[in-house]
Amino acid sequence: MKNQFTKSALTALFISTFALAAALPGNTLSGKVSAGKGVSVVYIEATLGKTFPAPTEHVVIDQKGLLFQPHVAAVPVGATVEFLNSDKVAHNIFWPAISGNKKLSHNMGTWPSGQKRDFKFDAPGVVPLLCNVHPEMSAYIVVTPTPYFAVTDADGSYKIANVPEGQYTVTAWHEGMKVQSKPVKVAGDTTADFALSK
Amino acid sequence: MRTGKWLRVLVPGSVLMIPLWMLVVSTKTYAIPAFSRQYQTSCTTCHLDFPKLNDFGKAFKDAGFKFPKDDENFLKVPNTLLGAEAQKQVWPRTVWPGQIPGMPPIGLRMNNFFQVTGNNRNQFNALAAPGTLPQVIPRSDFETGLFSIFTAGNFGSDIAFWVDDDISVAGDNAAGGLGDGYLKFVNIGRFLKLPTDALSIRAGQFELDLPFTQARNINLSPYDIYAQANIGAISSMLSSSQNVNNQFTFADAAKGVEFSGGHNYGGYHYSVTIMNQNTSGLGQSSNASPYVPSALGGANGGLGFGSDSSFKNVYARFSYRFNLERDAESRNSVQAAGATGPRDHTYLNFGTFYLRGNSQQGFLGALANGDTRLIYAHEPYYRAGGDFSFNYRTFNLFGVYMYGRDNNLLPVDANGALMPLPVGSTTAVPVGFISSVPAKFNGGFLEADYLLLPWIMAIGRWDGVHSSADRINGLALSTSTSYFGPLRSERNRFTPGIQFLIHPNIKASFEYQFRPKQAVTVVTDPVTGVQTALNPFRVNTALVGLEFVY
Repeated sequence: MKNQFTKSALTALFISTFALAAALPGNTLSGKVSAGKGVSVVYIEATLGKTFPAPTEHVVIDQKGLLFQPHVAAVPVGATVEFLNSDKVAHNIFWPAISGNKKLSHNMGTWPSGQKRDFKFDAPGVVPLLCNVHPEMSAYIVVTPTPYFAVTDADGSYKIANVPEGQYTVTAWHEGMKVQSKPVKVAGDTTADFALSK
Repeated sequence: MRTGKWLRVLVPGSVLMIPLWMLVVSTKTYAIPAFSRQYQTSCTTCHLDFPKLNDFGKAFKDAGFKFPKDDENFLKVPNTLLGAEAQKQVWPRTVWPGQIPGMPPIGLRMNNFFQVTGNNRNQFNALAAPGTLPQVIPRSDFETGLFSIFTAGNFGSDIAFWVDDDISVAGDNAAGGLGDGYLKFVNIGRFLKLPTDALSIRAGQFELDLPFTQARNINLSPYDIYAQANIGAISSMLSSSQNVNNQFTFADAAKGVEFSGGHNYGGYHYSVTIMNQNTSGLGQSSNASPYVPSALGGANGGLGFGSDSSFKNVYARFSYRFNLERDAESRNSVQAAGATGPRDHTYLNFGTFYLRGNSQQGFLGALANGDTRLIYAHEPYYRAGGDFSFNYRTFNLFGVYMYGRDNNLLPVDANGALMPLPVGSTTAVPVGFISSVPAKFNGGFLEADYLLLPWIMAIGRWDGVHSSADRINGLALSTSTSYFGPLRSERNRFTPGIQFLIHPNIKASFEYQFRPKQAVTVVTDPVTGVQTALNPFRVNTALVGLEFVY
């Protein structure tokens, strides 16, 4: 009987502990990026010596109606992106550089309508996607050095959840604007706003 | 030595105006910014170096100015429906619903030129009549080109349209006129259960289905063989002149109906055109009757007649293009699947064409009893030829050979004797005709285009026309000719060029024309009567064009 009580008490304590942990909000970093039309990407820069496992989920970027969809995507380093051609015209995807590093340029070639091709991004940076038969098409993948990133909504608002408490460098990127980084101390709900300019 | 007085009576400026004339006739070159707006895509989706089409552009045109598949998914500006789709269910009690482009599909184009003409242009000063000043042909000159409007698209039900018009030419208002204006019923063979795209019908005014388009070629000057009329040799020095005056050229817009099928980006392609005959060069507006109404005429008058005879010409073309990719899927696609992206196919294209007409020349003649009557010389003529095109990546080598032949009927008088030509109001009237030596010409062009970079096109081109009649006329000056005192019957022109796309819609072009040899000194052999040009020279021309479309 005593043992049974002890077991029940321990079980209740275990469950309540996890329930409490789940109910408690983690540190969040939120704010607004003022950068004009379109979405921005906000991410926390790498901390020395800290590594993160590659995500298992793949992000899909589609080519549909002579457009890349979405126009801006963010993935952490090590992520695999699936490039889909949903158009009934031939497409191509290439990037001339990653964050200006031309050694990281790559051409994905050609593949039929309805099919995908994968690519794993092992280096952080901004990847400008282009199509060499439809020069008006463009998109960006921001490969972030940490899994703490967010793509803003149309108003520029963002929220990065579950950020470990600490001092970080936070960077905001927007197409056509100068990248801006600032030190931010994350503790509880922290706010960091950015105003980007050309 | 014969530098006869008659040499001086011609206006030498007419010869030196050739480059300007070439500018005017060469400028039917169109890309369609309206499509860029509708689909929000770059000119380079359809063009290599506008207006030259790439394989996708050819497929877009074949499909009736639509994306070959899923067109509605690419339109960024949806079409305006002229009736709901469901209205089709109540047909024939309603008008079949169509659609119009959601925005006016209008494109505009402007070009300007700068020309430098060789010093030999001044040689023609010797032809000025005594006491008159020769026309000044400047060493260099800024020249105004065309301002044109063009519109094209699809009305739904696979009915395509195209209209282009030159609003002003060389700075003069409304001097250009209509280029093409037609409706095309694409894949109309589906109603006859024919294979897809086996039959389309186009009606209106349009450029013939030439092996290589003049209207959408990238060169500043036109292909000489396309501009070749067949004017028979008329010279008192000849024992037998030719009564041939056929002004028709392949560069002329055709008025008629065209049946076509197949594709221009792979496999077979054919067309058969039934069109007006107009070998006199008479314009429609000036070919009108005050007594018989033409289109839009009431009791009389109207828009005039496009034909100058009751005969209709027939033009036919057949070609087959072999795409050479090993992979079947890539070979049969609109564009080939290259290792670094879609590209034009590697291909070999062979074609042949044939045009049949019956040139008509009217004369005020006479019956045997002396009564006057109108008599006609009906001179059957044909143009036939072949063409090829080889493409590898961004290198394209292509050429055309054409042969032209006009039957030659010489007028005879009441005694059955040949009459001197040309027959005029002061000569006796003919009573009939006898067949004589046909008027022939041949020639063609060979061109190599190489896209050095996506924005730099290098061009090498050779034009050749062989016409002994042109040479005789040029030496004897018995008729107007652009080639004064030609040295030979062959007129060879080599024209290297280079073009730069400053933007997809702005282009700077340069070409240098090594032109055929001409002369102002003509001598006649006192024994044979044969005329020969002496001291030949070339009037080479450098030309820079700057054009933009929007």
